[in-house]
Amino acid sequence: MTTDWAERLPTDFAFAECREAWRMADAPQPPAAAGSALLTLQQVQLRQPGRSGASIGPFNLALQAGEHVAILGPSGAGKSTLLKLMAGERPPQQGELRFDGRTLAGWSPAALARRRAVLPQSHAVAFSLPVALVVGLGRVALDHDPALASVTGEALALAHAGHLTTRRFDTLSGGEQARVQLARVFAQLWDAQAGLLLVDEPLASLDPGLQFELLDAMQAFCRTRGHALVAVLHDINQALAGFERLWLLQQGRLMGDLPPNASALAPLENLYGIQLRSVPGEDGRLAVLARRRVA
Amino acid sequence: MTLSVLRRGPVPRTPAAAGSKLLAWPLLGTLALLLAATLLAAQFGPVAISMADWLAPWRAAHDDGSAAFSGAAHVLWQIRLPRVIFALLVGAALALAGSLTQALFRNPLADPGLLGVTTGAACAAALTLVIFASAAAPLPPAWRPWVLPVAAFCGALLVCFSLDRIARWLTPGSIAGLLLTGLAINAVTAAVIGLATYLATDEQLRSLSFWTLGSLAGAGWSLVATMAVLLALLVPFACRLARPLNALALGEAAASHVGIAVPRLRGWVVLLVALSCGAAVAWCGVIGFLGLLAPHLARACVGADLRRQLPFSMLLGGALLLLADTLARTLAAPAEIPVGIFTALIGGPAFLLMLRAAVRQQGGSV
Amino acid sequence: MRGLMPSRRDALALLLGGVSAAALPGWALAAPSQPRIVAAGGAVTEMVYALGAEHLLAAVDVTSLYPEAARKLPSVGYMRTLSAEGVLAMVPTVLLATEDAGPPAVLRQIAAAGVQLAVLPAHNRFDGMLDRLGRIGELVQKPAEAAALAAKLREDWRASEAQVAGHLAQRQQRLGRPLRALFVLSHSVSQVMVAGGETTAQAMLVYGGALNAIQGFNGYKPLTPEAAIAAQPDLILATTQGLEAAGGVPGLLRLPGLAETPAGRAKRVVALEAQFLLGFGPRLPQAVRQLDSAFTEALAGQTAA
Repeated sequence: MTTDWAERLPTDFAFAECREAWRMADAPQPPAAAGSALLTLQQVQLRQPGRSGASIGPFNLALQAGEHVAILGPSGAGKSTLLKLMAGERPPQQGELRFDGRTLAGWSPAALARRRAVLPQSHAVAFSLPVALVVGLGRVALDHDPALASVTGEALALAHAGHLTTRRFDTLSGGEQARVQLARVFAQLWDAQAGLLLVDEPLASLDPGLQFELLDAMQAFCRTRGHALVAVLHDINQALAGFERLWLLQQGRLMGDLPPNASALAPLENLYGIQLRSVPGEDGRLAVLARRRVA
Repeated sequence: MTLSVLRRGPVPRTPAAAGSKLLAWPLLGTLALLLAATLLAAQFGPVAISMADWLAPWRAAHDDGSAAFSGAAHVLWQIRLPRVIFALLVGAALALAGSLTQALFRNPLADPGLLGVTTGAACAAALTLVIFASAAAPLPPAWRPWVLPVAAFCGALLVCFSLDRIARWLTPGSIAGLLLTGLAINAVTAAVIGLATYLATDEQLRSLSFWTLGSLAGAGWSLVATMAVLLALLVPFACRLARPLNALALGEAAASHVGIAVPRLRGWVVLLVALSCGAAVAWCGVIGFLGLLAPHLARACVGADLRRQLPFSMLLGGALLLLADTLARTLAAPAEIPVGIFTALIGGPAFLLMLRAAVRQQGGSV
Repeated sequence: MRGLMPSRRDALALLLGGVSAAALPGWALAAPSQPRIVAAGGAVTEMVYALGAEHLLAAVDVTSLYPEAARKLPSVGYMRTLSAEGVLAMVPTVLLATEDAGPPAVLRQIAAAGVQLAVLPAHNRFDGMLDRLGRIGELVQKPAEAAALAAKLREDWRASEAQVAGHLAQRQQRLGRPLRALFVLSHSVSQVMVAGGETTAQAMLVYGGALNAIQGFNGYKPLTPEAAIAAQPDLILATTQGLEAAGGVPGLLRLPGLAETPAGRAKRVVALEAQFLLGFGPRLPQAVRQLDSAFTEALAGQTAA
């Protein structure tokens, strides 16, 4: 009730700026024309936080609509920073990022939120918000949202968290919280087509069975709607099994932009300093066993 | 396997849709209780009030105003009722500031008083009183009553803005850093108030001592009207901010990812907190802990969703201050105890309990 | 439609009533034949008792401690933090207060309720005290008694002035300079203030034939050891209540700086009861004489209590 009356208040008196800031000012953008990239990075460079002088880049990358990319690399390589760059969270010090033809700076937060969703590494949510509300927050930038309840329910079901609907977020375990955050991200991109989903180590605190299920859920979600998916992963097998491209990052530089086949094995070994032995995987795809590198 | 996850099974009915209708009943019920409490509180005081006094204006209107009010009726309608209603309004303003502060800093232990916002306002008012009072000659007399409230607002704004900046250097979600900053700010403002006390003439000193303990004495209908107009401007705007503020609980980065213009939102929240705190301090002195208690109780009753919590905490804040003020003016009748003492007596231990609960929940560290 | 009419009229009446409630002041008692007085300030109460009008007193404040009978009257709290309702509950017709009474908003409320607000200016002079006496005499409807008391006080005052002048001349011969005294106000051990210019304490010192050792500021300021030593007071004046709070003469002299002054070294501390010393009430001539005697005794080498 409070929502309704608060939103029916006259908004025209001098708050036009705020209105634009968190409402949909633009109509939904048509998906990128076939052939033009969804997200392009040109000569993008950024200084990494916490290290003086060390910067990541320059990156020259193009992401097509609907592509699934996995970012791999050792700790401290700048994977999360690259993801933040792509999310528009940190502006590059050099170079240009374009999302769907426009520079990231040219998108209003609300319009961008309709096409691009980010799942961060930390799942903390302040206060003991109910799970349904947390998932609904993915759609908070939407002006008029009659389908909120149903989309929330379906997103939770998709993320294998349907049984958590009536719980409070702070009473959930780490894995359950991860699933609810994933549901939030699903809810955010539920209506869009050819958007971008950026996830940072989404499967870290999950058991192996759940890892498979959620990875499948993510990819199915993206495939049905034509979203591009960029995931920072640590598990090489997950990367090889589910993604079309691998970006290998080391010390802030892109070491390789490879398809997930046998040609990727040697670069992967160099990336992590380990030895990989290929084994037969599912559906004829490549799988590997990691071993210590013997000098 | 991929298709199975897309099969639409029975969708669990989320409580959000049903809940918005449920809000109406608790809200109306609380309003009714508050009205009853107001009438009851107006009954208490050193002067005895009878039913005839309650009906005095009605009788006066029927008799065309020929009969002046009897003493008790005057006390009721000109002194006690304005004060009781003022208590509700100031309590609501402080609770609003508290809710917004907690949402801004994403922590249930944040309180404008503990963080130094109210003492900052008091300090600015004290400085203005002492230093600029003599220099206020060029101001037209109509503006004079506004000098102190404006000064208090500026003080609150400065402190709030600084806190906002400082919070970014600290560990996100850590309340300890914020509280320590509040401690520092409180120390500085106390020192400045001490300086102002030193520089004050005897007459100014009498007003200064008012700032530190808080009191609702002297509230008349004009002050009630001013506060009501201020709240009428602030409250709808704050309720509009409730939805984006919910998203802020996800963290600043995540909030901007879901489409909130976070810097602008923070700016508006800082402004609202400064306005409500500044107004409350300017007209009542420093009354602490309401901004902590009222949102906490509201959260316990209706949950942490700001769209429900904000109106409820304002109602509860008004009720709490009404209770404290009624105690303050009746316990030691005919003398009065400063109301800030009661809010501190209740609020202090409550804060410690909340701190203990928070530490337990976060596993031993805050 | 017809059933609605009365309720609309009632609502309009209530609205009008509310508006008129806001507009009308109005405090009509069953017209009292005699004034009912609430006295805020010890000196004011003393004067009312001195005029024999104590039967008109409805209530006093907490500083009204003399005479003893005043302590039995209902109290309205401290005169600087009055409560509107507390005062109005006594159904007064007049609120007698000094300039110190407050807070101002509450005084406005009391006045708006129809109570006559008589704020007496606080001049720290004997003549000012007589003016206040005259004003109070008018308000309690005893002008003749007030005039008689004023005449008596003037005579008393002349006697006091003569006594002080005599001792002053003696001191001038002995010391060659005026007596320097320091008034110390101590609420607690940590908070010690000294009286500067334009204070009641300085006025009393001057009437008693001494000079304020501390010059250069007005009002009460915290004591600094260096300033106290530099002032070189011959004598320290305090209130008995303050002296007790500080822990007696030994306790007072332990305050930083005081022990090193000539007064501290000779342990010359004079203390009088607070209301008696600083009240500027009808006992003023008496107080001046007692102060002067105390000064003389102290200088003669005996430590006054």
